[in-house]
Amino acid sequence: MIYDIAHHTTYKYDAPVASARCAMRLIPRNDRGQTVLSSKIELSPSAEFISDRIDFHGNRVCEARILEPHTRLRIALAARVDVERPPPPAPALTPAWEIVRNAAYASDSLAASSPAHYIFASRHAPLFDTATDYARESFAPGRPILEGAMELTNRIHADFAYDPEATHIATPIVQAFDSRRGVCQDFAHIMIAALRGLGLAASYVSGYLRTYAAPGQARLEGADSTHAWVSVWCGPEFGFIDLDPTNAMAVGNDHIAIAIGRDYADVSPIDGVILGAGNQDLDVSVDVKEAAI
Amino acid sequence: MFAERDIETDQASQRVAAWIADYAPTRDAPDELIHRDGRPSAHWRQFLESLAAFGDAGLEQRFAAAGRRIDDMGISYRVHGEAKERSWPLGRLPLLIPESEWRELAAGVAQRAELLDRILHDIYGDARLVAEGVLPAAAVTGSPNFIRPMCGVTPPGGRWLRFYAADVGRGPDGNWRVLGDRAQAPSGAGYALENRLVLSRALPSLYRDMNVERLAPFFRDFRASISRAAQRVDPRICLLTPGPWSETYSEQAHLARYLGFALVEGEDLVVSGGKLHVRTIAGLKRADVIWRRVDADWCDPLEQNAASRLGVAGMFDAIRKGAVVVANMPGAGVIESRALMSLMPELSKRALGENLKLSNVETWWCGREKERRQVLDALNEYAVVGAFADRLPGFGEWREALGGALSGSERARLIDAIDRRGVDYVAQAPTKLSTTPAWIDGRLSPRPFVLRVFAAATAEGWTVMPGGFCRISNRPDARAVSMDAGAQSSDVWVLTSRPITWSTLLPSGEDPPIVRALGNLPSRAADNLFWMGRYLERAEATLRIVRTLAARLIELQHIDLQGRQSIERLARLLIAWGAAPDDLPDLNPTRIALAAAADADAYGSALSVVRNAKRAASIVRERLSYDVWQLVGRIEARLTRAGARAVTEPETLEIIERSLHTLAALSGLIDENFNRVAGWSFIDLGRRIERAIGTCRFARQFAGDEATVETLDALLDLLDSQITYRSRYIAGAALAPVLDMAMLDPFNPRSVAFQAMRIDEHLAALPSLRSDGVMEPPRRLSVKLRAELESEDARRLDASMILAWEQRLMTLADRIAERYFSHGADGEANSQPSRIA
Repeated sequence: MIYDIAHHTTYKYDAPVASARCAMRLIPRNDRGQTVLSSKIELSPSAEFISDRIDFHGNRVCEARILEPHTRLRIALAARVDVERPPPPAPALTPAWEIVRNAAYASDSLAASSPAHYIFASRHAPLFDTATDYARESFAPGRPILEGAMELTNRIHADFAYDPEATHIATPIVQAFDSRRGVCQDFAHIMIAALRGLGLAASYVSGYLRTYAAPGQARLEGADSTHAWVSVWCGPEFGFIDLDPTNAMAVGNDHIAIAIGRDYADVSPIDGVILGAGNQDLDVSVDVKEAAI
Repeated sequence: MFAERDIETDQASQRVAAWIADYAPTRDAPDELIHRDGRPSAHWRQFLESLAAFGDAGLEQRFAAAGRRIDDMGISYRVHGEAKERSWPLGRLPLLIPESEWRELAAGVAQRAELLDRILHDIYGDARLVAEGVLPAAAVTGSPNFIRPMCGVTPPGGRWLRFYAADVGRGPDGNWRVLGDRAQAPSGAGYALENRLVLSRALPSLYRDMNVERLAPFFRDFRASISRAAQRVDPRICLLTPGPWSETYSEQAHLARYLGFALVEGEDLVVSGGKLHVRTIAGLKRADVIWRRVDADWCDPLEQNAASRLGVAGMFDAIRKGAVVVANMPGAGVIESRALMSLMPELSKRALGENLKLSNVETWWCGREKERRQVLDALNEYAVVGAFADRLPGFGEWREALGGALSGSERARLIDAIDRRGVDYVAQAPTKLSTTPAWIDGRLSPRPFVLRVFAAATAEGWTVMPGGFCRISNRPDARAVSMDAGAQSSDVWVLTSRPITWSTLLPSGEDPPIVRALGNLPSRAADNLFWMGRYLERAEATLRIVRTLAARLIELQHIDLQGRQSIERLARLLIAWGAAPDDLPDLNPTRIALAAAADADAYGSALSVVRNAKRAASIVRERLSYDVWQLVGRIEARLTRAGARAVTEPETLEIIERSLHTLAALSGLIDENFNRVAGWSFIDLGRRIERAIGTCRFARQFAGDEATVETLDALLDLLDSQITYRSRYIAGAALAPVLDMAMLDPFNPRSVAFQAMRIDEHLAALPSLRSDGVMEPPRRLSVKLRAELESEDARRLDASMILAWEQRLMTLADRIAERYFSHGADGEANSQPSRIA
């Protein structure tokens, strides 16, 4: 499936910003069943691009700086991506979760693909007992890991309410967990914390969803902004398998991954420092359609 | 003579015998003074005998002198979360280590430092130790100090580790062993220096007789090696501090001053063209080397913690480009984790091909199946601690769990936690710390201690500081010591048999180049010096008003209506300045005077303003002499005391007088002792601007349209110009002559014209950013102002003209701030970073 993606981010500042420097993770990944056919980032006011590199986790990072004073900054991404993911394996075929855990503990690689990076607490995904206990219910001794992980995905979808008003970017996940409400980012962090509490490796994936549902299917939650889901390590044979707790589904060809990391902090789409004071207002729009070829 | 001497010696021996008889170390940990066989060690005996020879009174005198010196030097530290710094708790006895033992310990520390540097090269390089299974990946990735953006980076200068510290103590067998590794940003070396300064002065003869190794050569070698690592000769070396709120800021300021490094905060730095720069009053200047005391996670908001304001955006990119040497490299802290300790013997064999000379405390990491089983099978034998964190994961504030001391449910929780997430835990043998004598309430007592030993990388390998930073616990059965309430530190004396040569930081055998300017003043330092000058001047002005007011109040019964009017004006001026609250009943002038001097809640009181001056001074502490720092502290202390109790009017007057004298002493000290290129001009600029503005206000208030003889008299008091005025004019105070004296007289050091002249001279002498010779904005203002004041006629002056000058002076202060302190004038900046997303 080939998609055309348009992602616009606009900052409006109360007071003029003299200069800014930002690091952008906006261009989709070029692996795991995805091929980026074209991509382009445009800034207004115009910016000087100072670096374009691949970060530790394999995400593309573009850095730019804007040296002219501005009260509005607009960042536009246009990309065309081909997505052709193989279907996930039959859950019953995956190894018992304890075996997968011990394999992660014993990993002998520091490459980004190593599960060892994704078994520890991280900035936005602290480990806490109630989340671990929540995960335990799906992981009876000896259960195949993907079975447990799929069940956990479905339970989060069933038990938690999608509620953009309930949380914001800085809400601790313990709070979202206790109130059983939040958005895709919260659900992803909660699932990650729950899995890691058992010692399982789980990473955070940011990405896009197709805006309009495929014929005969319901529109997916989170389609009009950037989305987030979870990637669970299922042992050396099966590697990482992506699950979307917000929509209770395994990730297929409706998802386009931008970046992977331990949690949101590693994949934040735009990180920046500005010289200026005062409040800012943020507006984001995302449009993902099948390319008309 | 001889007989007397013998009696003294006799008494001394008796005293030593009594001390030792009274000294009872526990039997379950080794002690420095009493050997296992129950006999005192020879070097401690020698030390105690010399100490005893001082006599009880002599000893107390020396110890008291040491205490005073600590306060005088302003050595302090901060307990996390506390606003006020604490005075440094230095133990009165050093830790003694004989040469032979030291040599072995130092060799062990040097070997460990080299090994850890190799491990870091491997972790951030091709990870062969990991692939070979010697170093499990999870023992690395679990550390919050594993800085992923540094993977694949070649460290500029060739080393990941340049400054390493090992915390050591004696194991049950009496041998030294490592309790912890410090590589993120080890603290304590500066405190060790300060401890040495204090103790060697308190006990000079002992220090000489015991033949103690000097510390200076170690710092000289470190400085030489770190400068050699830079790309440029004569590099600019900066000590990057988290700022005055850091627990060990006082130490950082001391080290920067001692080593001649620039003390900078993240705000002082900017990355431009892929290189790191310091913002100075003369524009951006390249920073070649960063010795960082900011944790790696906070160093670069673009690649690590986006919320950080302590670092500089783009620092990691500059490192990747090889443009800046950072000691230690971000990510070096990964080797601090306890998980690594369990792997050290094997790592040493693989990475160095050697056995460890110095072992660490026995540690088992539960991330590996075999060790996990072993620990779970015999949990009672172990103390369980975090593998990567100071706290025990899943157990709130617990630092450790002693297997044998847990309740049933705690035990079950711990077993479940280790079983699930063994990677987070290590087990260690629950041993107590070894002890050393401390002087407590006039007695010798055994106290647990941890010795921090420092090593620095040089071209010839690692050099180890002969001495160290020793922390002593106040709890007899401690298993760890932190510098929280109750702990002490002590000097560490390495006793040698070879002759000691005096060494300072001067390079020997070289012809040192003559340097007069210490490089360019960082903008933030200039900013704070400027405000320090302004606040000190404001404090003085406030105290002058209070003095003028208080002097009149004492004679209140003899004062006529006009006199009362000037009292009221003075009181209203203080209220208008925020020096006194405006809600005091019936405008009681006595209470207003006292409040204006010492009310901590009034933002404009002399006390509050002095505190602001102190805050500004604390940010540039490394540029100020101890004397300056001490005098500022003294004024604050005096005014605080005055505010704490009810004082009479004469007492108020006396406190004001004394504070003014101290301020005068401070001005003199600053004028006479402050190097002219080290920022003095900014203190003076601040002082002149504030004084000029203040004098304009006084003149409008007391020599305006409703001026009387009484108010003019008050103005002369405020300006300290009574004597000069009377010598010039026979008649009483008259408007034009007084105004001339306040505003235009170029010979009166308190007139506005005089200030304008000095301001203009300073601005003319400061570096220019322009190469075309055109005047910069502040100077344009100062030249005009100066000319107008010099040429004006006092008889033409009125309140509106004075007000206009006052406003232009304030504009001038803004222009100075924009030009010299602004963080945005050149290059892009992160002075107020805020996250975009």
